[in-house]
Formats: sequence, C-alpha cells, structure tokens
Amino acid sequence: MLTLEIVTPEARVYSDTVDNVVIPTVEGEIGVLPGHLPLLSQVTDGELRVAKGSVIETLVIGDGFVQVQGDKVSVLAEHAIEENSIDENAVEEAMQSAQAELQDAKNSKIDPAEIERLESVVRFSVAQLLIKKKRR
Amino acid sequence: MASTRDIRRRIKSVKNTRQITKAMELVAASKMKKAQASALAGRPYAELLSDMLAALAPKVDGTLHPFLQPREVKTRGILLVTTDKGLCGPLNANLFKLAAAIKDDAKFVVIGRKGAQFLARSGRNVVANFGVHDKVPFKEIKVVGDFMMDQFLKGEIDTIEVIYPQFKNTLIQESVHRPILPLNNLVEFVANLADDNADESPRKAVDDRLMIFEPDAQTVLEALLPFYVNRFLYQLSLSAKASEHSARMVAMKTAKDNANSLLDDLTLEYNKARQAAITQEILEIAAGQAA
Repeated sequence: MLTLEIVTPEARVYSDTVDNVVIPTVEGEIGVLPGHLPLLSQVTDGELRVAKGSVIETLVIGDGFVQVQGDKVSVLAEHAIEENSIDENAVEEAMQSAQAELQDAKNSKIDPAEIERLESVVRFSVAQLLIKKKRR
Repeated sequence: MASTRDIRRRIKSVKNTRQITKAMELVAASKMKKAQASALAGRPYAELLSDMLAALAPKVDGTLHPFLQPREVKTRGILLVTTDKGLCGPLNANLFKLAAAIKDDAKFVVIGRKGAQFLARSGRNVVANFGVHDKVPFKEIKVVGDFMMDQFLKGEIDTIEVIYPQFKNTLIQESVHRPILPLNNLVEFVANLADDNADESPRKAVDDRLMIFEPDAQTVLEALLPFYVNRFLYQLSLSAKASEHSARMVAMKTAKDNANSLLDDLTLEYNKARQAAITQEILEIAAGQAA
C-alpha cells in the first residue's frame, strides 16, 4: 500500500492509502507501485490516476513536484481538482478570461510572474477539459 | 472638584475614542478571520514542501546548487516582516528587539512601513523596502523572494534570514528569527518546524536507497529550491498578516475595555458633581429664605 498525499496552496486535496498511482511528469506519465525507489520529479498539467482496489479515481493536477520516499508519495501541485467536481462551463469561462488577460498582459509587458500564473491557469483548464471530453 | 462641564467634556472625548477603537476592533476581527484561515490553509503545503526538502537534503551533492553550499558569512541578509500600520500592541516592538540584537552590519530588506521607519531611525543598511497588500498576493512576495535570491547568488548577501511574527493563535504571536538560505542545516531546521506544528503526526519516512531525479538532479533542484524559498516566504507573510490582525484586534479590545471602565468612573464623578451642585443650590436657597 502507498500513502498518497496531494496538497495545493489552498488545501490538502487528497490523503489516503492507495494501491498505485499514475502521475503526469515532465518526462511522461510514471506509475508508482509500493516499493518504488526514492524519486523526485516535476509534475506537469495532466491526469493523475489513483487505483484503490478495483476503483480508479481521476484527478487533474497542474504544475508542481512529486516525491516518492519509502511508501509515501507526496505531490505538491499548484492546482488540483477531482474529476467529478470539474465544472466544464466554469472552466471554460476561467480559461477564456485568463486568455484574455494573458493577451493584455503580453501586450503591455507587465510582470512576467503574472504571465506565468495566467499561463498555468490556461494549461490547467485545458487539461481539465481534455479529460472531460475523453470520458464522453 | 472639577466642574460638571469639564467632566462632561472628558466623557465625550472618551466616548469618541471608544467608538474608534470599537470600530477598529470589528474591522480587525473580520480581517483576522480571513487572514487566519489562509494562514492555516497554506500550512500543509509549506510543511510538505519542507518535508520534501528534508528528505532530499542528505541525498544530494551540496555542490549541485549554490543554495546548498555553506559559505563564509560576511554580510547577512535579513528580511524583516512588519506591519504598515501601528496600533497593534507590542507586535512590531518585539520584532524590532530581535532586529536590534543583530550587531554586525547586515543588509536589511523590509516589508511594511513600520519596519522601514525603525531601520531608518536606527541607521541600518536597508537595501530594499517592499509593500505588501492586505490580501498578501503571492506575486508580491515572489518579487521579494526573487530579489533576495538574486542578491544571494550575486554574493551581495551570504545568508537569507527572516524576522517575522509567527502566528500561534489569536492571543499569542511569537517573534521568530529563522534562517532560510543556505540550506545546509536544513534537516535540523525541518525538525524544528515539526516541533512548531506538533499537532500533526510525525510523517517521517526512512528510505536510504539512492534517489532518482527526473529529468536530472540539477534541473529539479533549480526548479525546486527557488520555488521553496518563495513559497516559504509566502507562508511566513501569511502568518505575519494573521498575527498583525490578531494583535490589532486584541489591542483594540483592550483599549475599548479601558475606555469603558474610564467612562464608568467619569460618569460616577459627573453624577456626584451634579448632585453636589444641586445640594449646594438648595442650601443657598434655604439659607436665603432663612435670612
């Protein structure tokens, strides 16, 4: 069994013991089973699948780090949401407003940190929408 | 005995003060709730990040990243997190005590107007002064963190340390002096952090196998360490903001209570004076009739 913990700056999103977990990293998806070697990697926007018995739960996460240490998997992400609680309309809206802001920001060349943040919002929105579409 | 009019004037002024402190208390209380909630919500994230680094520290080569290398300390870099406004009890004074205890010629970076004033008064070397809004947006803290890391990498400063009020609860805020960079004493430091949050169960995972870094150690460290510093500073600032509002609320509540008791005393005095005046008048009238 693995202990999985997913934390974002806003809250602890997930904390449970699971059988295995598939995490999207910059090098592609990695599956983590109990007994995995210690690992530190960067997480990118995408789908994180948690297998618990015969149930597979899906979360969408964005931007962060993952560390495997013993049988403990810690994921630090900028965003994370469970698949069931994704509201497509809200996401669409958030994405559009972020894109609009991004356009403004790029034209006026403001703070690069702000641009980075907006881009991360857009990427995360895209990841959420993709997964919703896939399920249909 | 003071005349009734004098007492009435004083009562009026005390009432005004009470009104102001009461309003400030209410404002601080509502801000405090929000600030405390965000400080508490961010805590697991900061803790996990620290845990991650603690597990990482013994496994990486210290020469991989400048943040990990111990170096000779010539100039300390100190970030002083204070408030913009006063009237928050002993909060700032306690921070200043810690700052004043630093004797050598350290370079100071300051958040908050009060701290800037203090450092200017005491003739310290202030290299930068930042303002942070009440809501503590991450991007504003990131500017501070990036600036300090830049100075650190350039060798302008050899440590990054923070003096800030740590939020414990509404009544207790502790002034803390905490080293951040370099990270060579990280393990010890994380142990301290765990003590601070003793309510959490220990989550130590011991695993002494070799660690895999993806894509590679250099890349991951270069992303993780600055991120860590910024996030950590962010959590500190949230804690400082929660402390500020808590301290202000408590200070204003005390002020209001004091005004109330003062008002009681003054009212009593006023009534006595009035009664004395009436008695005096009656006596005079009675004496006048008798004559």
